[in-house]
Amino acid sequence: MNKLLPLLRREWLQYRFGWTLMVAVPLGIALLLLAFGEIQIGQDDAERVGDNMAQLLAVGSMAGSAATLFIIACFSSIIIVAGMARRDHSDRSVEFWLSLPATHSASLAAPLIVHLLLVPAAALLAGLAGGLLVSLVLVTRLVGIGEWFSLPWLDLLPAVFALAARLLAGLPLAVLWMSPLILLVVLLSAWFRSWSWVILGVGIGLGSQLLNRVFGQPFLSDVTLGLLRQARAALVHAGQSFEMGKDSGTEGLRQLPAWALNDFVLALKELPSPLLLGGLLFAAGCFYLLVMWRERGAGATG
Amino acid sequence: MNATEQTVLVKASHLTVRYGAKAAVDDVSFTIPKGRVVGLLGHNGAGKTTLMKAMVGLTHGEGELSVLGLQPRPQRAQLLEQACYIPDVAILPRWARVEDLVSLMSGMHPRFSAERARSLLRRTSVGLKDKVKTLSKGMVVQAHLALVAAIDAKLMILDEPTLGLDVLSRKAFYEMLITEWCDGERSVLISTHQVEEIESLLSDVLMLNEGKLVLSISLEDMEKRFVGVSHDAAVAEQIAAAHPLLRYRTGTGTSGNAAIFDGAPPEHVQALGQRIRPSLVDLFVALTRKPELDRTHF
Repeated sequence: MNKLLPLLRREWLQYRFGWTLMVAVPLGIALLLLAFGEIQIGQDDAERVGDNMAQLLAVGSMAGSAATLFIIACFSSIIIVAGMARRDHSDRSVEFWLSLPATHSASLAAPLIVHLLLVPAAALLAGLAGGLLVSLVLVTRLVGIGEWFSLPWLDLLPAVFALAARLLAGLPLAVLWMSPLILLVVLLSAWFRSWSWVILGVGIGLGSQLLNRVFGQPFLSDVTLGLLRQARAALVHAGQSFEMGKDSGTEGLRQLPAWALNDFVLALKELPSPLLLGGLLFAAGCFYLLVMWRERGAGATG
Repeated sequence: MNATEQTVLVKASHLTVRYGAKAAVDDVSFTIPKGRVVGLLGHNGAGKTTLMKAMVGLTHGEGELSVLGLQPRPQRAQLLEQACYIPDVAILPRWARVEDLVSLMSGMHPRFSAERARSLLRRTSVGLKDKVKTLSKGMVVQAHLALVAAIDAKLMILDEPTLGLDVLSRKAFYEMLITEWCDGERSVLISTHQVEEIESLLSDVLMLNEGKLVLSISLEDMEKRFVGVSHDAAVAEQIAAAHPLLRYRTGTGTSGNAAIFDGAPPEHVQALGQRIRPSLVDLFVALTRKPELDRTHF
């Protein structure tokens, strides 16, 4: 019997209301503001985009909406994941979860999978869908509803989906790069409760300074910055940035899928590196210590 | 406890569980055959919870421990598919609805019947749509038992499941336990402080005192082995001279005295009063208190 699926489902049952709010509130606010607020576009900007106004508004709405929800989901997930080791201690339900036939490792892995991979991915897709609605309202207000229906959707949608696919494909890679830092925070919060972020910040900050100034070793800061940089590159912009000429119009959009694919391949090529290997070993060590902590805590609770 | 002819569900042999240097469970050996309702009695800190945790693989013990033929620590997840465990009172997650828990248990437990859980819940005042945080402590315990009783397990381990509940909730809990779960094949190990309330349900008793097992016996054998003598205050000194396990008052006045002996007391002592059946509570006190007589030995 696969115990991981019910554990994943538990996350849905516990956080579904919060997730609904996380998606609905920003989209609702955006739609309300765009529908009833005042929207101004400068004369210069309007002239610069020329006939591509509706097209840019549509792409911008969808990409902006998807990116906003994706970023919100990433931040909320990091906060939830950081506290996951102790989240069932406040209502003592940890005793209930420990009485169920799931292994400690599966119980710890499930929230990581959900909050680090599935939730940001779902938020991105929800943002895309919501962005379509936002684009309808925005284009209707500024250019007219007819323009929205006559947009070159066959060019727009593949471009937007290519961007989304690039982010989705890059997400697991970014999680891999970030895993040492994320699991270190989870482990610290298991050991030191809410002091974890402080300890991590002070530890990395002071540790970097100390190593750098006293021993002339920028090792810690290099590693930390390297992981963050690679995580960002894994998500998007691993290679050259995408530039679309102002008159390129749909032709420029057609180049986006190829750029996204190429960018992802470049992100993949970054994987075989000592930094990632070392990071993953460190993350595995943190996960092992978390399993040990849960196992020992199980004997001590109650 | 005669386990020779019966299938043994739990077997502990020289089991010791330590927290640091302190032995919370100290060299304990016992068996639990199938179809028994076993009371685990002991004062606070006697090692009951630790023993139960060891039995479901949540803490590490030295010595031998086999539960349903499995080693609890390395085979915890496998064991908990066949045994159910209520570790404490009202520990269901407060964010969940009862139907969420039914759905989760369906996915987690291969032997869980959602239909049976719903049927058991219908007999309580707990609704499927209710959120755990809106339920009273008694209702949470009822819901938890309904969930656990819907698991087709061979062994149920209950660690003070009714602690802090009112008498009606406790009664409802035990009624559901006996009528809906105990079928003569399954065994229950239950620890509680309300010894009087569960005495009639038990078939066997394990008594722990400061980590050591001071008694492991069926109630049938207990009645044969331990003898109570009620007597007048006037013969108290003669009774005391026969070294009973415990002397206590059973009521007011000069006739309200009794003593418990391990084994039949001498004829002349029995003649001083009337033979009575010692209650489990009295026996528990007799075996787990620090005897006053000991103090005179210093």
